Amino acid sequence: MKKNLTFLLTSLMLLTAIPASAQVYSGYRKFDGVHKNEINGSLFYGFNVVTGTFFGENAIYTRHLSPRWSLSAGQQVQFLKQVYSVDITGTYRIPITKKANVYIDGRVMFSRYQRWKVNEPVANLSAYLETNYVDLRWGWSYIRYHKVDVNELYKDFTDASYGEPLVMTLQIGVNIRPRANRWNLGLFFRNFDQYYYENWNINWGVRFHCTLPYDIKLFSEFNIRPAGSLSQLATRYETSLKVGLKYAW
Amino acid sequence: MKKRISLYILLIGLCTLVSCQKLRDKISPQGILMAGTAVEDRVKMSNQFYRSSLDGRIWLVAAGDYSFIVGADSHLTTDPGRMDEMLAIGLQNDDLFYAHLGDLADTKAEYYYTLDSLVKKAKERYVEKYFTQVNEYEWESNSIRDAMEDGSDSVYNLTYDEITYPFFPVVGNHDITHNGWALWSNIFHSSFYEIDVIVLQEDETLAFDHLIFLDTASGTLGQTQIELINQGVLDGKYLYDQGYRYTFVFSHTNIFRPQFFEFASTFTREETYFLLDQFEKWNVTGVFCGHVHTWDERNFNGVHYLTLDTMCEKNNPEPGDYLVRVNVGKDNLGWEPVRMNYTPKKK
Repeated sequence: MKKNLTFLLTSLMLLTAIPASAQVYSGYRKFDGVHKNEINGSLFYGFNVVTGTFFGENAIYTRHLSPRWSLSAGQQVQFLKQVYSVDITGTYRIPITKKANVYIDGRVMFSRYQRWKVNEPVANLSAYLETNYVDLRWGWSYIRYHKVDVNELYKDFTDASYGEPLVMTLQIGVNIRPRANRWNLGLFFRNFDQYYYENWNINWGVRFHCTLPYDIKLFSEFNIRPAGSLSQLATRYETSLKVGLKYAW
Repeated sequence: MKKRISLYILLIGLCTLVSCQKLRDKISPQGILMAGTAVEDRVKMSNQFYRSSLDGRIWLVAAGDYSFIVGADSHLTTDPGRMDEMLAIGLQNDDLFYAHLGDLADTKAEYYYTLDSLVKKAKERYVEKYFTQVNEYEWESNSIRDAMEDGSDSVYNLTYDEITYPFFPVVGNHDITHNGWALWSNIFHSSFYEIDVIVLQEDETLAFDHLIFLDTASGTLGQTQIELINQGVLDGKYLYDQGYRYTFVFSHTNIFRPQFFEFASTFTREETYFLLDQFEKWNVTGVFCGHVHTWDERNFNGVHYLTLDTMCEKNNPEPGDYLVRVNVGKDNLGWEPVRMNYTPKKK
């Protein structure tokens, strides 16, 4: 048993020691001027005080149209919570230095909160600065929501629609290793997640990524999402763990 | 070396910020990421108190049409002028009850002592106006005595403690920022409760209105409150087959953001949609919110939402329409602004 375990660990170490050929992943972003396509898939599991336990999947495809422009499309299904989301993101990259880029992201997103019969379209424009150890995002979101019950289409829902005033998008992240390192561990603070933008509730947590054999990247996030941050009484609201893989070709 | 000096400057700056007394009274920096006072404990305690001590229900009785006033965010410190004025307006106008949308005081023991004294004095004035002392320990309601054909009946006599002073607050985040729940609950006991209004209509039929007070001080309902709501604890309908005529909900945290530069917490996405859906299930007529210190009025899915400006003399020193009076009639329902004239003394 001990021999088998030693063999397995040695094999894993050898495999992970294989040089990463042309694919050098850079933090959460990937563009090396060679590979045009990226796919990113993840699974997550968590607990929310309103809906209880939930789990789901998320998949995103990115096409690099040029060294500056890229386009992404994604979807997410949250089972039990009954939230279904899709999005399209257009990105323009502005190189600042060899190790830092600014990305301008324009995004449209749609989520269906089936449990409460609410449709939520969102538009977001933000700038994302990624440096060797620190990343920052700043932008604005426009969030609308509509109550739409497909079983009661005869009902008048004309007053069941609301557009929130613009809300700021903020993110601060720090890593303990340089961005292009084969593995990294970091902290993040932000008021959004993959498929929602909050008003003033600050998510925070730990993120991790490492490069696996065949240049597949493993990434993970432990996300603490309190409620009432700016009531100064942040209270347990949602915690989730996401684990995913990313590959470029 | 430069890095170290910058780090020291940053640390000294943070220590100064944290040690600044005035700021500490108002702000709890650690609360932005995780707070000490849990909504779960407040709701469990409130529900237990309400269901056991008050036998599950407070009743208010209205003869025909009635009115009530609503105020928000008094942030009482050393000057209780506006709070006193609110209670005096309610008494003068014969409003059936006075609802407060939280942030009554700014979480200091002496402020709560002032608030407690003020409410006790207001109760004395209330009892003096609506009750008659029949013996050393008992009072009778003037309206019930007048309604009784054969004069007063000792069955309806109450001790002073049994008389409900109709000032019904919800708890706000500033009420409890510095573990103020102990102070708040000592006076008002419960932050999660419901009240039935029994209306004796002119045609001698009965109507029932429903008042729901939610604990949203933490910017979230929390798991316990959501579970209790899902269990139907606030549905109340099991008492009456005919259901409620009007239902009003009172919450500290607002549902809708009045303006884009509001930095106050609102509910998270799922919780917002849960509440909007729940209000539909409760067949809510009107929802009253505070917290953001900005006026807002809107309809959503057949429910009328009013977010009230602050009545705090520090934030709004000039006289203004900081209260709302809701007039509830059999065939009509409306609200009007109520002016507050108290101006704080200049120091």
